[in-house]
Amino acid sequence: MIRELSFNDLLYLIAAMRWTLALTGIAFLGGSLVGLSVALLRVAPFAPARWLGTFYVHAVQGTPLLAWLFVFFFGLSIVGVTVSPWVAAAAAYSIYAGAFLGEIWRGCLQAIPKTQWEAGASLGLSFMEQLRYIIAPQGFRLAIPPTVGFLVQLIKNTSLAAVIGFIELTREGQLTTATTFRPFTVYLIVAALYFALCFPLTQLSSRLERRLHVAR
Amino acid sequence: MSLVELKDVVKRYGQNTVLNGVSLAVEKGEIIAIIGRSGSGKSTMLRCVNGLEPIQGGTVAFDGTVVNDPKTDLRALRQHVGIVFQSFNLFPHLSVGKNITLAPKVVKGVPQGEARKLAEAVLRKVGLGEKIDAYPDQLSGGQQQRVAIARSLAMSPQLMLFDEITSALDPELVGDVLKVLEEVAREGMTMMLVTHEIGFARKVAHRVVFMHEGKIWEQGPAAATLGRPATPELETFLSAVLH
Repeated sequence: MIRELSFNDLLYLIAAMRWTLALTGIAFLGGSLVGLSVALLRVAPFAPARWLGTFYVHAVQGTPLLAWLFVFFFGLSIVGVTVSPWVAAAAAYSIYAGAFLGEIWRGCLQAIPKTQWEAGASLGLSFMEQLRYIIAPQGFRLAIPPTVGFLVQLIKNTSLAAVIGFIELTREGQLTTATTFRPFTVYLIVAALYFALCFPLTQLSSRLERRLHVAR
Repeated sequence: MSLVELKDVVKRYGQNTVLNGVSLAVEKGEIIAIIGRSGSGKSTMLRCVNGLEPIQGGTVAFDGTVVNDPKTDLRALRQHVGIVFQSFNLFPHLSVGKNITLAPKVVKGVPQGEARKLAEAVLRKVGLGEKIDAYPDQLSGGQQQRVAIARSLAMSPQLMLFDEITSALDPELVGDVLKVLEEVAREGMTMMLVTHEIGFARKVAHRVVFMHEGKIWEQGPAAATLGRPATPELETFLSAVLH
């Protein structure tokens, strides 16, 4: 049954943003933990650790996020393990975001000249101390723009979680379209809401970058 | 026992042999100047002493500890062996003071207040007492290099390695850095310095080591060796650098 697009629909769309945000938060948190481990593996002074990191990145970057969502939600239930959509989403998004963040951060760590590691080593600092006090702080500034760039991608990619039952922004838009048959208006609103989430982030990124640059 | 002992050290990068059986003993308090063409292996030899370069043959020992033994704790060793690089390698995100206090605090556990006093003291020694809160990119090359020396001194090493530390500097800044080196030398520090400053080597070094094609080609007391080279290679080298 088709009804008119109303103000309430807008409120529903805005309310659906909370799932988009929650999914993004979980994905970024889980992805950061995984990504940090991956980045560390990729720069470790121990070849098998680097191979493991490389294998992980290639494996995950070469498979669709959708497949991971299916594996965790439907796949596990086939073998008798029931997982809630939240757990499945958290696992799938952490795995996915971890590979990309890990690769971004590895690049930032490796962009710091080798002579900085050497200077630290020559003063008697251990590998982890060199990383913590010398390399990571310098890499951090480099990491801000690409990390925020990926975060923006992540916000938009949370729409995939609709396949395992999340009614986040895009899915809510679909549902609203189905009942009002006003796709153009509805998706325009959906796009505007995504923009409202993403634009402040990119602004924040350039502000942070400027500020850290001045303070070194 | 010598403080530093290199025996038949061989270093290869793939097919390229950089050090081809280098043996050298350095006594406590000695100042050794290492000269030679670029590519003769002098920097590589220096970097073997604190274990920055793994070697393929021979042994490197510092104060009785075999540096190239995989079981050796290089962290402990490096607290006693300072190195200053051609390109300064200061930490650009840290102030001068923090560049200096980082290792004493992290590696030796010196408390903040004491570390700061230590930084003030070593900075005064290199004539940069007022720069403690400056950042490396606010300093000239010569000043940065003096901070790098101060940073190394703050760990109170028993041996200091200087790897062409004036080569990246504008000519008018070289003097200040050499003056600091002389000051460190006067205090009795054991020093190995790779340098192109022949005049400085003659003045400060006890012994000059001339390297050629990955070998120690000739060595001896500074004045005698530089004044009357025994090999045509050293003679050619000296006439090239002294024009």
